[in-house]
Amino acid sequence: MSREPRLPWLARWLVRLSPVPRESRAEVQADLHELYVNRRRDRGPIHAWWRLGHDVASLWRQPRTIVDSRASPTKFAMLRDAGSDLRFAARLFARQPVVLALTVLGLSLGLGVATAAFGVINAATLRGEGLADPDRAPGVLRTTARSTSTTWTTDEFVQLRDGAARIALEAVLTENAATGQSPADAAAPSVGVAFVSGGFFAATGGRVMLGRPLVAADEQQTGTPAAVVSFVFWSARLHRDPAVIGRRIRIGRADATIVGVAERGFTLPHSRQIWMPLTAHGAVFGGASGRRAPAAGLQIFGRLLPDATLSDAQAQLTAVAAALPRSSGESALGVRLDSRAGLGRAPLSDTVAVTVFVFAVIVLVLVLACANVATALVSTAIAREREIGVRAALGASRARIVRQLVTESVALSTIAAAIGLLLAWWALPAIGAWIEAPAGSDLAPDGNVFLFLALVTTAAGVGAGLAPAWHGRGVDLATPLKGSDAHQDRVAPRRLRSALVMMQAAAAVMLIVTATLFVRASLRAAVIDVGFDADGLYAVSPGIGDPFDSTGDGADVLNFWARAVDELDTIPGIAATTLSQVTPFSGITMTSLTRDEPPRAIALHRTHANYFDAMGIRLLAGRTFTPDEVATGAPVALVSAALARAYWQDDSPLGKMLPPEIPLSTARPVVVGVVSDAITAALHERSPFALYEPLAPRDQRMSEMLIRVAPGSTGAIELAGERLRAIDPGADVAIASVASRLRGETGRPRTLALLTGGVGVIAIVLCVIGLYGLTASVVGQRTREMGVRIALGAAPRDLLRLLVLDSLRPVVIGLALGAGAALLAGRVAAATMLFGVSPRDPVAFAGASLLLLGAAALAVLLPIRRAAAIDAAVVLRRG
Amino acid sequence: MSRDLVDISVKGERLGEFEEFTLLAVRALGDRTYAVPIQQYVENATARRVSVGAIYAALARLEQKGFLRSTMSEAVAQRGGKSKRVYSVTPSGLRTARDLHRVRDRIWSEIAAGGRS
Repeated sequence: MSREPRLPWLARWLVRLSPVPRESRAEVQADLHELYVNRRRDRGPIHAWWRLGHDVASLWRQPRTIVDSRASPTKFAMLRDAGSDLRFAARLFARQPVVLALTVLGLSLGLGVATAAFGVINAATLRGEGLADPDRAPGVLRTTARSTSTTWTTDEFVQLRDGAARIALEAVLTENAATGQSPADAAAPSVGVAFVSGGFFAATGGRVMLGRPLVAADEQQTGTPAAVVSFVFWSARLHRDPAVIGRRIRIGRADATIVGVAERGFTLPHSRQIWMPLTAHGAVFGGASGRRAPAAGLQIFGRLLPDATLSDAQAQLTAVAAALPRSSGESALGVRLDSRAGLGRAPLSDTVAVTVFVFAVIVLVLVLACANVATALVSTAIAREREIGVRAALGASRARIVRQLVTESVALSTIAAAIGLLLAWWALPAIGAWIEAPAGSDLAPDGNVFLFLALVTTAAGVGAGLAPAWHGRGVDLATPLKGSDAHQDRVAPRRLRSALVMMQAAAAVMLIVTATLFVRASLRAAVIDVGFDADGLYAVSPGIGDPFDSTGDGADVLNFWARAVDELDTIPGIAATTLSQVTPFSGITMTSLTRDEPPRAIALHRTHANYFDAMGIRLLAGRTFTPDEVATGAPVALVSAALARAYWQDDSPLGKMLPPEIPLSTARPVVVGVVSDAITAALHERSPFALYEPLAPRDQRMSEMLIRVAPGSTGAIELAGERLRAIDPGADVAIASVASRLRGETGRPRTLALLTGGVGVIAIVLCVIGLYGLTASVVGQRTREMGVRIALGAAPRDLLRLLVLDSLRPVVIGLALGAGAALLAGRVAAATMLFGVSPRDPVAFAGASLLLLGAAALAVLLPIRRAAAIDAAVVLRRG
Repeated sequence: MSRDLVDISVKGERLGEFEEFTLLAVRALGDRTYAVPIQQYVENATARRVSVGAIYAALARLEQKGFLRSTMSEAVAQRGGKSKRVYSVTPSGLRTARDLHRVRDRIWSEIAAGGRS
């Protein structure tokens, strides 16, 4: 009995995959097996295997011979054609590696920047915060006859929740609290904490990836409160430790036990990083006051029960609310359910400006990158007119030729997208830091970002591939075959490519001018004289009391300040302390706009007499406040020198009433002194107008302390912090360096300068790449014309001038357009960020123009020098 | 596009070098031979490594040009009951091979007469 001959299974499997038709497979396998057996017998198994591999591979190398070419096209024919298109593209690119590398580089830069920028927008606005089915999770608004508000007291919430029959009500209160590994962690950063009622996770649809969510029992539990941390917090602060459940962390002034880690993407509401039970609020902020929910300030939302409608639930809740106790003078309470006021629906207005800016950058960079690839492809297409003519002559349809071009550019853009994604991945954290993204936001690319990249890549690929097809529209494809040069003199394609280069030049100039303005602004900001010495100056906020409790008399704060002054006086190295309602660059300003035309912004200060010593502001005339004036809040004032000049010119303002142009809410004070100018807020406005009034004791509740540390002393401010915390263990003392606040203020234009400057450099690189490609191809096409000119007596110098002028014309036009756009952009930015640098700053415009022209001239000169050196006789003979 | 180009070369009536070897191998092995002996014959005769895929390709092209004809053989016990496609040279194939041979001979004799061989 003969044994059935069998090929090794791998070879059999490969034969099945090969283009061998089904009916011939058995025969081919038998042949292969026979060869294999013979070779193993003659030369051994290794040789037999080696040759079998070759034979099997050869079935692919010669597919057309086994597939009957007259058979009807299969559904894979199109794919096979795409495969051959790709192979052709690969061979074509291999012949022009430099053009390929430059084009891919340009496109990957563009795609990378666009993806990174989209990633930021995605994280900031598009992704949402993980609220399931938001239409059935309305916000609960508190209405009275006169007002509508979003916040409720805790008592109201509890009664509403108990009375609600058609909706499950939950409450949330957002706060920021210092969170560290241990109680001793004094430098613990502040993170966003949400205090939530027990059913919060169930109602929002929030899930955990480790441990468990918060439940109703956590609200009642005494002892160490439970906490759920966000994915971002777990990643950044807990190093993705899988054994984190049960670990203790310090939140505010309480220890908490981690019971769960929320799923990635759940950050409700507003980029929270930690969720704790409502009842933990007291422990986190009150210290000794123990576990209790905050008195007021709760935001309520609900989850409609499965069969309930919004109007049902609202009617039922209104009935419950009507029975709630009301405060004096308030009408009956009502309830409005509003699904647009639910959690996670509030627009993040502060990110809108950044979003618009970033979207503008995306569009600009993508336009640049695509224009670039299109320029390269149009140039290549012109050089390939003959090849395309051959294809057309052999029967290829126009659609088939377009498909070849599109396949090539899609292949290019896919390679570029891969590189771009790597760039974006690397750049996203840096961009997040530049634009000061909130700490809890998750910038890592997600599905949206990948989808965006795929769409943009396809669009860029198809668009760039269609550009050469568009340029070739209406042309007789066979003309190039006839050897005629007529097609080379067509104006249209050159105009298209010039327009593309012009666009790139305009965008590059605009970005570079803007970047230069920002750079100059940041340099200017660094040397702005604020009029006082910010180094060694610290601002202290006491952090006493419930922030929602406005009924107290503030005695605890006054007491704290009185003891603080005594304590700090004994510390060596502290030169001065003072109280002030507003401390420099705290973000809080009190200003009065005058009734002049144009109005002046006057900074209002309420301070003690030693404020000027502590700040380092000089007394130019008159005197400061007396203790009596401070104690009684007398109507006296000091003015800054600039304010005195503005209203009294060269006269002395001493003893005069403040002019009526300055609106004030208090009695009109008499000027008793003039001090030097100081800028303490809104650095970009640089308004030197300031008015100082005495800080009456009743206003001390809301004031902060300024500490001046003597130069050269070390450790004084740390010691001060310890002493202040020792005064009241319930106080959440925060000490901020005024110098670092100032650096933050001057840093803003620097970050924008980095962003626009980086993109501007990319724009110039793209522009130079495009220009080089364009010039090289145009010069190549005009070789014959140059030959004729030389033959007719033109000197190489004339040719050089002609070509350079022709090539640089679109750049110069683009430069003018871009400068115009930059003027507009600068005017917008000047309002907030330019620190007195004029948007028409000649240095910026001249610098950007020179930079672009220089780069463009280089890009143009290289190919042109070669062209000008041609031998007319050779060229004409060839023609 | 590339498909059209290949079709044109396939339809030509000329004989490529490798096709010529294959055609002659079929003739030398006596008619009614199949792919495996042909591959071994060409490999031995040319002292080049020849893949079976290349042989299939050449056989198919020769058949398309009308130089070979093929039939399926009876099942053979030696191949596990699998039948095989056997080839024989057509008169037109034979004529073309001989023409080619004659042309070569004439050229070589001219070279020899010129004393340059």
